[in-house]
Amino acid sequence: MKQLKAELTFLRALTAVNLSSAMEYRASFITQIVGMFINNGIYFVFWLIFFNQFGAVRGYEMDDIYLLFAIATLGYGIGFMFAANSGANLAYLIAQGRLDYYLVLPRNLLLHVIFSRMSVSTIGDLAFGVVAYMFTGRFHPLDILLFVVSSVLAGLMFVGFSVITGSLAFYLGNARYLSQQLTNAILTFTLYPNTLFSGLARFLLFTLLPAAFIGAVPVQVVKTRSGLLLAGLFGAVVVVWGVGTAVFYLGLRRYESGSALNINI
Amino acid sequence: MRMQWRSTGVKYGAIMQTNLQNQLAYLWDAMGRAVFILLIMYIFAQLWTAVYETRQTPDIAGLTLANTIWYFLLAEVVELGKFRHDQAISDEVKDGSIAYTLVRPYNYLAYHFANGLGETAVKMFLVFVLGAPVALHFAGLPTVNVAHLPLVALVMGLGLLVDFCIASMIGLMAFVMEDTFSLRLIYQKLIFILGGLLIPVDFLPDWLQRIARVLPFNLTTYAPAKLFVAFSWAQFWQILLLQMVWLAILGLLLWAQYRWATQRLAVNGG
Repeated sequence: MKQLKAELTFLRALTAVNLSSAMEYRASFITQIVGMFINNGIYFVFWLIFFNQFGAVRGYEMDDIYLLFAIATLGYGIGFMFAANSGANLAYLIAQGRLDYYLVLPRNLLLHVIFSRMSVSTIGDLAFGVVAYMFTGRFHPLDILLFVVSSVLAGLMFVGFSVITGSLAFYLGNARYLSQQLTNAILTFTLYPNTLFSGLARFLLFTLLPAAFIGAVPVQVVKTRSGLLLAGLFGAVVVVWGVGTAVFYLGLRRYESGSALNINI
Repeated sequence: MRMQWRSTGVKYGAIMQTNLQNQLAYLWDAMGRAVFILLIMYIFAQLWTAVYETRQTPDIAGLTLANTIWYFLLAEVVELGKFRHDQAISDEVKDGSIAYTLVRPYNYLAYHFANGLGETAVKMFLVFVLGAPVALHFAGLPTVNVAHLPLVALVMGLGLLVDFCIASMIGLMAFVMEDTFSLRLIYQKLIFILGGLLIPVDFLPDWLQRIARVLPFNLTTYAPAKLFVAFSWAQFWQILLLQMVWLAILGLLLWAQYRWATQRLAVNGG
């Protein structure tokens, strides 16, 4: 318990340093956040036009998109605002032999690495998620609570999956682009109605590319207020993190130092 | 004069060829990046099949489902293949290396154009080759008149020039902004809707179509994709005229911005 508290204090301090570092370039900080907010807004406009022109498609309506975007963007924001050194960045660090800096420090290696970078633009995602939720009209305290919990779980799922894809670099060498492609794939599938997919594609979205646990399932959790579904979502997050941790630490045995002069300020 | 033109052509041709060879040397790497088209084409095919099924209609705004799927392939070929030099310009401005590249014996923007052309050719080819089987699977062979293909290629080329001008202007904005990431993101998303990448311009509400058709965003992606699947002479001439007008406007703006930026550049030390 004491160790967990110490780790959390350390991660909080790490996040505070990352935030102050990002805010040093104030104009860039603000434009990145606003840019990402507008970026998400344009996707939103696409769906507004789409449903306005074509009506509901396989049971999906604009109300579902509001909730889907609210959870997916808030989850993405929560996840990568704090743990942006996952996915392609993690793959790059491994391939370049730049884990040495973290290996010599007496902290949890995986958490230290992934929390060492903050993605500023994801603050725009975070803000967008909150604004998108306003459009859903679900203001019952239980709905709000389920929305927040589901979004946090979606964020954990995003990061857990990115730990797996980034750790592939231990086994494949330069897995940076593969990791980037897989992250793009999970994000893309998340933001489309899952009712579009059937058969093998649907199976993959619940297993190898678990986009369903970031978009479709959390949406159902909020819509149906189902505790069982929430427990299932929690279970899926635990599985992905279990796999991610195993892939990372098993891969670490294959890690070779890059002997690169690495200065982290 | 003729000799000078010839040596200029040889110089930029060599730049293009070098990057083309570079891309071909790392073909697997380029293919790995182009694989995204498989995913996006699969999603688009599912989405628009569902739309046509729901509406129970053979065509929407004159486009059949097969037309729509091939339209998206062409639009993605342009989007995923087009120049990405704005980031390079922005980086050069930020790290100061632009001071060195500007004194080299070539025009800075022409260099980026020639350099990007080699890369674009490889990327567009790969995206098409990878995406075509998906389109074939869901839509069958496209109904294309081969005689129109050179005209589609012309529109595509001019569209890439329009995009080059806008992307260069975004890159050069690094002289006044610390980071051009947000501008790039917004431009990309304008292409998504007003450029017809996520939804063909013909499917937009009338009021938005009127706006989208006069803006330059549709000239890069929508224009060649639409002419590829449903060629009409009236639309071809209309697009060509608009491309000329926007190229003149954007070219002038880019030239002014480039002059202003290079005059503003202060190089200290050596």
